Amino acid sequence: MATFMQCKGLTKEFAGQRVLDGIDLKVNQGECVVLLGPSGCGKSTLLNVITGMLAADSGTLACRGRTLDDPANGIHVAMRERGFSMVFQDFSLWPHMTVSENVAFGLRMQRVNAPRRARRVQEVLDQVQMGAFRNRRPDQLSGGQQQRVAIARALAVQPDLMLLDEPLSALDARLREDLKHELARLLRETGLTAVYVTHDQAEAFTLADQVAVMNRGRIEQCGTPEVIYNEPRTQFVAEFLGASNLMPYRRNGSSIVIDDGVLDLPGNGALAAESGQCLVRREAICISSERCCSGDDLVELPATCEQTNFLGDRHEAFATLPNGRLIRGFADGAVHRGGAVHVRFPASAMRFLSD
Amino acid sequence: MLMVYLRARLPLLLCLLLLAVAAGYPLAVLFAQSVFPDILGGSLDGFGEAYRRILETPELPAMIRTSLAWAGAVTVVSWVFGIPCGYLLARTDLPGKLWARLSLLVPIMTPPYIAALSYILVMQEGGFADGLIGGLPEWLRLWFFSFWGVTLVMALASFGYVALAVEATLGSLPRRLEDAATLFGAGWVQRMRYVLLPLLLPAVFNSGLLVFLEALSNFGVPAVLGTRSNLPLLPAEIFYLITSWPADFALATSLSSLLCLFALVCMYGSRWLARLLGGGAFRPGEGALQPLGRWGKWAGWAFIGGLFLLSSVLPYVAMVLTSLVDSWAEAELTFTLRHYWALFEPGSRGLQALLTSLGLSLAAATICVLVGGYIAYVNVRSAGPLQRVLDGIALLPRVIPKIVMAVALILAWNAPWVPVDLYNTVWMLLLAYVVIYITDALNYANASLQRMGENLEHAASMLGAGRATVFTRIVLPRLRPALLAAWLTTFIVCMRELVASILLLPPGVDTTATFIFNQFEQGEIAIAMAMATVTILLSTVVLVVFQLRRRG
Ligand SMILES: Nc1ncnc2c1ncn2[C@@H]1O[C@H](COP(=O)(O)OP(=O)(O)OP(=O)(O)O)[C@@H](O)[C@H]1O
Ligand SMILES: [Mg+2]
Repeated sequence: MATFMQCKGLTKEFAGQRVLDGIDLKVNQGECVVLLGPSGCGKSTLLNVITGMLAADSGTLACRGRTLDDPANGIHVAMRERGFSMVFQDFSLWPHMTVSENVAFGLRMQRVNAPRRARRVQEVLDQVQMGAFRNRRPDQLSGGQQQRVAIARALAVQPDLMLLDEPLSALDARLREDLKHELARLLRETGLTAVYVTHDQAEAFTLADQVAVMNRGRIEQCGTPEVIYNEPRTQFVAEFLGASNLMPYRRNGSSIVIDDGVLDLPGNGALAAESGQCLVRREAICISSERCCSGDDLVELPATCEQTNFLGDRHEAFATLPNGRLIRGFADGAVHRGGAVHVRFPASAMRFLSD
Repeated sequence: MLMVYLRARLPLLLCLLLLAVAAGYPLAVLFAQSVFPDILGGSLDGFGEAYRRILETPELPAMIRTSLAWAGAVTVVSWVFGIPCGYLLARTDLPGKLWARLSLLVPIMTPPYIAALSYILVMQEGGFADGLIGGLPEWLRLWFFSFWGVTLVMALASFGYVALAVEATLGSLPRRLEDAATLFGAGWVQRMRYVLLPLLLPAVFNSGLLVFLEALSNFGVPAVLGTRSNLPLLPAEIFYLITSWPADFALATSLSSLLCLFALVCMYGSRWLARLLGGGAFRPGEGALQPLGRWGKWAGWAFIGGLFLLSSVLPYVAMVLTSLVDSWAEAELTFTLRHYWALFEPGSRGLQALLTSLGLSLAAATICVLVGGYIAYVNVRSAGPLQRVLDGIALLPRVIPKIVMAVALILAWNAPWVPVDLYNTVWMLLLAYVVIYITDALNYANASLQRMGENLEHAASMLGAGRATVFTRIVLPRLRPALLAAWLTTFIVCMRELVASILLLPPGVDTTATFIFNQFEQGEIAIAMAMATVTILLSTVVLVVFQLRRRG
C-alpha cells in the first residue's frame, strides 16, 4: 500500500515543555489512522502540526512525496496550501452562514462554479442525512446535526486528507454511538485518508485501520486494532486498552517466576525479557467456585472472592490470591463474596512485557 | 377580587404611573401640540398646520435633509476612524494596547460641545493655529467651518464607541472560525470578506446607530459650531424656535416630533437590517493575533496617535492654555491663574453654577439609581401585559432625543391645568435630569438582574420576608456594583449636561455647562475655558477615586 503521509521525529515545545517528543507516524493511502491517548498527551498538537496551524520545531512531515514541514531546511508550507480539511471538536461552523453556505465555502474557495457547487453540496448533505436542513443557521440545529454539517463541510472539497479532532466528544453517549458507525461507513465508502483523534477506545476500534497509541508526546505503538489489543508492546498500551491484570515476573533460567512464586512456568523463558510484567486480560480470566478438570494449558490458582459487579450480560468478579494480589475476571456460575474460588486462565493468554 | 389583583400588581402599577407621569405625559402633550397647535389654549383649531408650514417653508425641509446627511456623515467618518482602531486593538500585536485603549476613552469622556468650543479657539481667525503655526491656510479654515469640519469634530467625539464595540466583538471571535476558512484555502482578504466582516456587522451597525442618533439629536456641536459654519441643524433650530422671541412652539413641537420619528425609524430599521444581514451567535473564544511588522506597528500607532492628537490633545491644550494665558503679546505668553480665582470667588456666578451643578448631579444620580433600580427590578421580575407596557414605556428615555424630552417637559409643566409651579424652578431641572438620564440606571440594573437568578429572592420570601424586605435586603445589596457604576455615569453626565439645562433653567441660575456656553458666546472665553477645565478635572477625579476604591 502506498504511503500517503509520513512524520519523522517531529517535536514541538511550548514554553520549554516538550509536547511532541519525536513522533514517527506513517499513514497509508485510503486508511484511517486513529491517534488514541489520554488527555494532554499531545494529540491535538500533532494534528495541528499536520494541518500547518502550528509549525514543528524539528523533524519532517511529508505528504505524497512533498515535504510540508522541515524546520531544519526552513520549509513550512502554509495551512491554506496543504489541501487538507478538518472537523473540529467544537464544530466551528460559521454562525452567519446557512448550512449549505457553510458546506459550499470550500468549493467556493476552489472556484467551483455555482451549479456544480450546488450539486456537490446537495450530494454531501444527503450523505450525512442533512439535506432537509439546507437553509437553517447552525444555531437552529442540535449538537449532533451541527457535527454532521461540520463533517459534510470537510467532505465537500474531497480533501486529500481529512483530520478529525475528537469530533464526537461534544455529543452525548447515545449520539456518539450512532455517529461513530455512520462516520466509519462514510470513511469506508469515500475511501478517504483520515487521521482521527480520540481518547475513546471503542471509537478507535470502530474507525481505525491503524491505531497509534500516544503517551506523553510519543507514539508507543502503532498497529491494527487487533494487534494493539492482543499484542501490546508496553505496559502503558496494555493498561490503556481494556481491563487487564499485570503481575511482575522474572526469568529464572529457562523458567519464568510470576509474582514471586505464585506461579512457575517451566520452559517458557526463551520468549521473554529478563524481567517485566505479565499481562492477562480480564476476559481471559474465569473465576468460579468449582475446580475444573485441569487441562494441559490451563492455569488454576486458589483465591478468595472479594467482590462481584453485575454488568448486565455477566458478572465481573474480583478475587485475591494468597499473596494478596487482586485479580479481576469474569464470574463463571454463582460466586459469593468471601467464598473460596478458583482463578483460571489459559497459559497462552499470558503476555510478557519488558519493563 | 379587585383588591387582591391590585395588591399583587401594586409595584407594577406604581412603576407604570411613575413613568407615565414623568415621560409619557410630556411626550403625549408634545405630540398633541404638534398636531393641534392651540390645544394648550383649549382649542382644536389649526389641525396639522405646523407640519404644513414645515413643508411650505423651503428652508425647513432642506435643513432636515442636511441634519440627516450630517448625522450620516458623522456615522461614516466614525466608522472609518473606529473600525481600524478596533481591529488594531483586538487582532494585532500592537504594543502598548492599554494606552491605545485609554486614548479612545478620553474623547468619549469629553463633552462634544467643549471639544467644539476648543476647536473654534484653534481654528478661528487669530486663533491658536494662526498664533502658533503662523497663519492657517485660508482654504483649511473655510473647510473647517463647513459641513465636513463640523462632521469631523463630532466624529472625533464619537468614533471611540465604534472602536470599542468592534474590539469587543473581534476579541471574542474564536480563531477556529478563521482557521476553518484558512484550511479551505481562504486568504486574508477572503477571511475578511466571508468570515470576519459578516460576524462584525451587528457590532458595526449597533455602534453606528448609537453614533447616528447621538449626532442627530446632539445640541452642543450644532449650536456651537453649526451656527458658525452656516450649517443649520435640527436641534439647534428647535432651540432657537423656543428661546427667541416670540417662541414658536407649534413649529418646535412638530420638528421635535419629526426628530423622534427619525430616531424610532433608525432604531427599528437598523435592528431589522442587522437581523437580515447576518451576525449569528458564537461562543466566545480566544482570538488570533495578526503579527504587524515594524512598519505595521508604526502605521498602527500613527493612526491611533493621530486620532488621539486630533480628538484629545489639540482641544485639551487649547482649552487649558486659554484658561491660563494672561496675554498674547507678540508671541510671548504670560500665564495667570486669574480666571480660576475669578471662578472661585465667593458669590461669583461661576461658583454658583458649579455648586448648582454639583447639587443637581448628586441628587439626580441618586434618584436615578434608586428609582431606576426599582423599575428595572419590577420589570425583570414580573410578566403579563402590564409588564409589556412597562417595558415599552421604559424604552422611551432611551430612544427619545434629549432635546425633545426637554421641550416636552416645558410644555407639560407649563400647561394651564398644572396646579404646581414647578416650571421656572430648579426642581424642574432635577426632574428633567432624572427623566432624561435614568437610562443608564435602567440598563445597568437590567443587565445585572438578568444575570442573577431569582432563587435568592424566593429563599427570602419563603422565610417570610415581605416584598419591601426582599428588595432592600436581598436585591439592592446584590445590585450594588451595577448601581454604583450607574450612579457614577449619571453623575458625570449630569455635571456637564447642556441641553436640558439651557432650556429649563430659571433666569439668573446657571449650571457649569450653561455657564461655559453663555460666557463663551459673550466673549469671556478664558473664564469659560477655566470652567470647562474645572468640570472635566472634577469628573475625572471622581472617576479615578471610584476606580481606586473598587480596586482597593
Ligand atoms: N498553545 C499552547 N501553549 C502552551 N501549552 C500548550 C499549548 N497547546 C497545548 N499545550 C500543552 O500541550 C500539552 C498537549 O496538549 P494537546 O492539546 O495536544 O493535548 P490533547 O492530547 O489534545 O489533549 P485533549 O485530549 O485534552 O484534547 C498540554 O499539556 C497542553 O497544556
Ligand atoms: Mg485535544
